[in-house]
Amino acid sequence: MSTGSIRNFCIIAHIDHGKSTLADRLLEKTHTITSREFRNQMLDDMDLERERGITIKASAVALKLVREGKEYNLNLIDTPGHVDFSYEVSRSLGACEGALLLVDASQGVEAQTVANAYLAMELNLAIIPVISKIDLPNSRPDDVLNEMEKTLGIAPEEALMVSAKTGKGIDEIFDAVIKRIPPPKGNPNAPLRSLIFDSIYDEYRGVVVYLRVFDGSVKVGDEIYMMKTNSSFKVEEVGIFKPKMVVKASLSAGEVGYCIANIKSLHDVKVGDTVTHNRDRTAEALPGYRPPMAMVYCGIYPTNNADFHLLREALERLSLNDSSFTFEPETSQALGFGFRCGFLGLLHMEIVQERLERESNINIVQTAPNVTYEILKINKEIIKVDNPEKVPPVGEIEEFREPMVRASFILPTEYLGAIMQLAEGRRGRYKSTEYLSEKRAILIYELPLAEIIFDFFDKMKSATRGYGTLDYDFIGYETADLVKLDIFVASKRVDALSTIVHRKDADIKGRKLVKKLKNEISRHLFEVVLQAAIGSRIIARESIRPIAKNVTAKCYGGDITRKRKLLEKQKEGKKRMKSIGNVEIPQKAFLSVLSVDE
Amino acid sequence: MLHNSLYIHIPFCVRKCRYCDFNSIVSESKKIGRYLHAIEKELSVLNGRYVFNTVYIGGGTPSILTEVQLEKLLHSVIRYIPSSEIQEYTVEANPGTLTVNKIGLLKEYMVNRISLGVQSFQDSQLKYLGRIHSSNDAGNAFVSLRKAGFKNINVDLIFGSPEQSLDDWEKDLKTVVELGPDHISTYALTYEEGTSLTRDLEDASIHKLDEYVELEMYKTSIRYLTSNGYNHYEISNFAKYGYECAHNHAYWKNIGYVGIGAGAYSFIDGVRTSNEKDVFKYIDGINENKNVISFREKLELNQFASETVVMALRLRQGISNTDFYERFGYTIEDQFGEQMNRLAKYGLVSYENERLKLTEKGLFVADTVMTEFI
Ligand code: SF4
Repeated sequence: MSTGSIRNFCIIAHIDHGKSTLADRLLEKTHTITSREFRNQMLDDMDLERERGITIKASAVALKLVREGKEYNLNLIDTPGHVDFSYEVSRSLGACEGALLLVDASQGVEAQTVANAYLAMELNLAIIPVISKIDLPNSRPDDVLNEMEKTLGIAPEEALMVSAKTGKGIDEIFDAVIKRIPPPKGNPNAPLRSLIFDSIYDEYRGVVVYLRVFDGSVKVGDEIYMMKTNSSFKVEEVGIFKPKMVVKASLSAGEVGYCIANIKSLHDVKVGDTVTHNRDRTAEALPGYRPPMAMVYCGIYPTNNADFHLLREALERLSLNDSSFTFEPETSQALGFGFRCGFLGLLHMEIVQERLERESNINIVQTAPNVTYEILKINKEIIKVDNPEKVPPVGEIEEFREPMVRASFILPTEYLGAIMQLAEGRRGRYKSTEYLSEKRAILIYELPLAEIIFDFFDKMKSATRGYGTLDYDFIGYETADLVKLDIFVASKRVDALSTIVHRKDADIKGRKLVKKLKNEISRHLFEVVLQAAIGSRIIARESIRPIAKNVTAKCYGGDITRKRKLLEKQKEGKKRMKSIGNVEIPQKAFLSVLSVDE
Repeated sequence: MLHNSLYIHIPFCVRKCRYCDFNSIVSESKKIGRYLHAIEKELSVLNGRYVFNTVYIGGGTPSILTEVQLEKLLHSVIRYIPSSEIQEYTVEANPGTLTVNKIGLLKEYMVNRISLGVQSFQDSQLKYLGRIHSSNDAGNAFVSLRKAGFKNINVDLIFGSPEQSLDDWEKDLKTVVELGPDHISTYALTYEEGTSLTRDLEDASIHKLDEYVELEMYKTSIRYLTSNGYNHYEISNFAKYGYECAHNHAYWKNIGYVGIGAGAYSFIDGVRTSNEKDVFKYIDGINENKNVISFREKLELNQFASETVVMALRLRQGISNTDFYERFGYTIEDQFGEQMNRLAKYGLVSYENERLKLTEKGLFVADTVMTEFI
């Protein structure tokens, strides 16, 4: 096949801006799926994605299109729309020559869209601006065109007006894809040079590698070689996604598809790696991607220590399908044996946790998430701390450093004050404001990552009535006056409740935290004292009074079963708690560290 | 295993009390007649199969039956149950429906214990609880029972309702002691699912009594009744010497019993069953000679043992390790050693002379303690 008929593109869009609906329309129009197969949001294969309305894993689909008597092969590669997954976005971009930049006609340009669009420009992708949802009554396409020009330097006349709902403008998109996006360049006769832009694990077939072929071709029986992992495999099957896997004889330069090669584990495959022929290797590897950096960590423990191995198996299964999620065994005095898990961000953490609960039957306790700190010790050694427990004694610390991000908010100007207040409250450092129009602006702050990993996003959303958007980039470590806040329950220090806070917030946080814990730990047969401390200094104390009366003075007649069931129910409730000393602490309490603001 | 206790359920009431979740309905007399017919049929199956030492007719309101119906019921009992073996024969009565004639019938048919649902001696309380009778009715019923020669009378009382003060409760205790029944049950008001009381609690039109006041009421009951000659032998039961309720011991000791009637439980050879709860389905089932058992469970040995400990802890004398060993083939410590040590450390249970029991402190938080043994 000549590469002239191929177009590889992706859609860059903010969540809810209509990407899935647009993708559905493109699939429908090209008869890639029959109406019987048609389900809403075809491209999202995981249930969770559908529920959350976002795309986690990059997926790909091949579309066939006839224009002016010529047949074209379009490959649509999906990109995730959440800030946690910007790494995955760069993966899909690397496999394309062009991108549809989709912006909602009523909501306007959003922070992540801008960030991703810049990413695409850096990679020299052809950009087709698309204004979506123009059928909605409150759409304001002219303003949006203006914003695009201001933020991205895109000329208004380049933009297409589309309503995926009514189908208006879909044909124009196809035309633009063919005309404005260049066909892939590669040489089909050169040695194989292809990029792994994603991989999934299939229980029956092993690893399915998503490939973009740049040069040469690959077919069944070929012996392929992965340049970074330095390993070789025999190809069992190649094919394309329509969107189900459809077997093909070969994949050649410019094409996007999959390859199955009896690969047992996702860990044997490095996304971003270059695949070539073992015998006839390409001279130069593709640039690939920088590996994802876990930004947020938390401890995950089985409520029942005996479930440790089950938990390990469950985490292993999860990581098979998600190479950006990491875990390592750790122990906590309070919680026993568990794992320290690393995530790209908070949403990623929530998704993993939900899947863990859904796919395994283990009661887990999760500790409050934290970022990775850097500590310069007196002896000049620099250590990374991904768990408050690993903070060395105060006397050994010369400098405490925390990760900082540059956060950009795009929001209606009326909410500037609210967001500034929010950011200042989170130790933010104001950088700049730039007006996109009379009504919208970009606001830039530098913020400690630790301050935004939990509820910041929600707070930002509610402060802007849903109109504000946020994107952030890690900019480096910075010295800060941080301390470790410890919690004692019934005179026992509960390591899993320790947090790192700024010194000036420590007292207030300590007080709020023990108050919060007081509400979350139920009464016991004895008084439970809760204390917050910094080093040996107690900064707050609360006590939970003991149960005074809990006796059912009632005659159940012969219905002892009912009595037993009632007691069993109470007991079940206890099982989901972690018993520390003799105090039962519910899972929720471990997370209360997070939301002491309320 | 022993199964020497028979329970007969009469699931009818004049009106539903506000707190009540017992299996009872308000129904017309004709239907009650059909029910009694079904009871007789179920009893007839028992004919000669068991010997019962205690018989207990409860409800609902057994005294709601007309004289004719009551006689029919009492007659079916002596017809199918060898009466010479019956040592304790209790019938529950509501002061609002008990008449002199009915008392006469009870006496005639060898009923020797009456459990009177008094609940309170204050009319405002009775009204609050939705009872159908007045405090005077209760006093009169009691006097009539004594007059007819009943030597073993229990009075049920309820404490801890939202509008009751500690003072109110002390007055009730005083009145009951003056009346001088042989047995007193004091039940703490509980908020059961589906009752009108619980609905009021949920929509916050009423509020639970303060836990500490309720605790004080309970403590006062124990102190006052004990010092007036009533032995506190079970969490909510007090009796003059020799008047402990024999029938209820079958439950507390988790030994066999047979239940007759809608929703009644039986426990025979380690298998617990209950009849169809719906009164009319029960009647139809019996009439059509169908099996009316709607629930059945066979307990695992350790489950049986744990349930036995939980029930026995309700008794102030607790449970003897020897008895336990004889029943289950291992010691209490084998199964519960860890819990016993922990709870003993907190002073909630004691284990002395081979008996495990709740301490006074443990008594007040008995439910929490019991969950440790489940
Ligand atoms: S009389 Fe007894 S069974 Fe009947 S409704 Fe009242 S409490 Fe319930």
